[in-house]
Amino acid sequence: MSGYFKELISGTYSLAVGLGITIKYFTQPVVTMQYPMEHVKMTPRYRGHIELVRDEETGASKCIVCGMCQKSCPSGCITVAGKKPEGSKKKVLTTYRLDFTKCSLCGLCVESCKPGALDFSKDYNLASPRKEDYIFDLLKRLEEKS
Amino acid sequence: MSLAKVREALAALVAASQEELPPEEAIESVTEETPEAAAPEGEQAEEAAAPPPPLVDTNHAKKGFHLDVTVAPDQVVQAAEILDGEKYTIEAVTGVDWIKEEQMEVVYDYCDTADFSRVVIRARIPRATPELPTISRVFPGADWHERETHDFFGITFVGHPDLSPLLLPEDADYHPLLKDFTA
Amino acid sequence: MSVFAESQTQETFVVNLGPQHPATHGVLRVKLTMDGEYIDRAEPILGYIHRMHEKNAEVGTWAQFMPNTGRMDYLHALAYNFGYSIAVERAAGIEVPERAEYIRVITCELNRISSHLLWFGAFVLDLGGFTPLLYAFDDREQLLDLLETVTGSRLTYCYYRFGGLYNDIDENFVDGSRAFIKRLRSRMPMYHNLVTKNIILMKRLIDIGPISAEMCRKYGATGPVLRGSGINFDVRKNEPYSVYPELDFDVPVYSECDCMARYMVRMDEIDQSMRIIEQALDKLPDGPIKPEKVPKLIKPPKGDYYAAVEAARGTFSIRLVSDGTNKPYRLKLRSPTFSNLSLYEEASKGMLLADALALMGSLDLVIPEIDR
Ligand code: SF4
Ligand code: SF4
Repeated sequence: MSGYFKELISGTYSLAVGLGITIKYFTQPVVTMQYPMEHVKMTPRYRGHIELVRDEETGASKCIVCGMCQKSCPSGCITVAGKKPEGSKKKVLTTYRLDFTKCSLCGLCVESCKPGALDFSKDYNLASPRKEDYIFDLLKRLEEKS
Repeated sequence: MSLAKVREALAALVAASQEELPPEEAIESVTEETPEAAAPEGEQAEEAAAPPPPLVDTNHAKKGFHLDVTVAPDQVVQAAEILDGEKYTIEAVTGVDWIKEEQMEVVYDYCDTADFSRVVIRARIPRATPELPTISRVFPGADWHERETHDFFGITFVGHPDLSPLLLPEDADYHPLLKDFTA
Repeated sequence: MSVFAESQTQETFVVNLGPQHPATHGVLRVKLTMDGEYIDRAEPILGYIHRMHEKNAEVGTWAQFMPNTGRMDYLHALAYNFGYSIAVERAAGIEVPERAEYIRVITCELNRISSHLLWFGAFVLDLGGFTPLLYAFDDREQLLDLLETVTGSRLTYCYYRFGGLYNDIDENFVDGSRAFIKRLRSRMPMYHNLVTKNIILMKRLIDIGPISAEMCRKYGATGPVLRGSGINFDVRKNEPYSVYPELDFDVPVYSECDCMARYMVRMDEIDQSMRIIEQALDKLPDGPIKPEKVPKLIKPPKGDYYAAVEAARGTFSIRLVSDGTNKPYRLKLRSPTFSNLSLYEEASKGMLLADALALMGSLDLVIPEIDR
């Protein structure tokens, strides 16, 4: 019988301790972020969807159309195409399509790109009800950004 | 050392199976010849000619396990009983599809948690009739692993209580890990 | 169970728990055959998020499977990265520089803490306490921020590479980790006061859901379930990999076999992980994070290889079969909760439904890892 009361007292005490903790936290400042009003700043290494990098000298993309990114992508979501303009030795990028619906944001494409023509964007507010909105034309995005 | 004990018992088991080999070989020779005849590369013919020894002490640092034993398909239950007697636990059961050799391999991974060691038991079965006895009576934990292997490879574990698909949809009639499976 | 035997009537009825049920933490369905409030048979039905990772592996190259490993156990993704890296490094004979090993251990242990914190919150939520979840998430958030700055993602990491890491830690990471450990150390007593010593939690966990050591062995259960049943087995100690042998830590073992034991194992593991991280931070050497020469196309020699690591839920192991080409011939993923859940049917027989949910929570299920 004494065990019963002992448990009753220690049990009630444990509940009071717990309540004390919650009351203490109740008076402390809010730790959550009020998301749509406030925005998170992405860290430099944040992996958003990929983006073409501009070559500061020429103003065009750094891409040499080697196709390594397309080959290394596990999800097969990159399509690159280029052509050789008349009298030039280097290929020029004509299409860079990213199917973001399939992209797993692994970053293998960025790693495999020798000239450093790819980078991660810091966009994360990418909501849309339509699938087509996620087929990105990265070349167009690059032009639009300038 | 339970590993030493297990090794001894398994060696005896393997030796017993090799004595019985002649009648078995008569059946298996049909399937064994096919890859040799079909494959033009000399490499494969060589492989078929010299199968690896049935009991190998492997280098743990290189391979990740201590003992690698190949037994006859009907001996897997005996092997499981030996390991059960030495307080081994079952880690996984899985299959490998050796399509060029017209064979399937069933691999059992055992682990001793008290006196750490890992033992691998393998059995090769013909690809056309993939059947071997279940060890789920010895290790109830093998139940799900065997069901999964049946899902993925179509290997029938004779005596298993319920081989209905575990991870695949309940009406699945395909075996995705077979090398000739195309979605 | 005697209670069960007494209450046995001829009438049973079938209840589906899940596939969408908060207590199953994902899409697990349990078909319960109930005799009143007591469970006659609980049959887990799997496969709702089966993605056939093993076939995926056979399609791509060795390196292309790395992102998949982070998507099995999304709570302790780095252990899966770790296991796969070790397996391929072992097969292809790649050496890992020491700095990379230390960073691997630090990030992996941080990830383990985040996994245990989430489990802690979710488990108490299963038992009906909502507040601890919020506190646990607060701490976990700090951790995820910390890991995000080095790995670039918050949950499905793909940070390790064969022979090293994706990139080095940044200058804030070491201080950030120390600050986090200090913070969590000061919060642990709060968790214990709020939850562990709480009478309701004790009543719901002590002597509930017994899993004997023998049952663990027969079903191949691992991790905290095994250690909660009195078996001292931890891959980090028994089959040491990476730099774990150089670090001093204990393996918490409780032999009560009940839900409380499994709870305590995980809470103690958080403390041990903090110890490991502190030591590793002290010892962190300078140097490269990648070997000088990593072959561009990895072609492990023919044969099969096995590698196991201790993930938050138990032994995660990989069996590789290589045929000498640049694609895996066969890759078997042995996930710990698959085995841990397989004993649920036997362990839950005759239990009250509410207790069976406590048992399920104490197994710490992550469904994508079971279904793979
Ligand atoms: S991040 Fe990964 S999945 Fe996405 S495009 Fe690059 S390689 Fe493909
Ligand atoms: S790897 Fe880089 S340079 Fe090559 S095609 Fe892709 S983006 Fe262009």
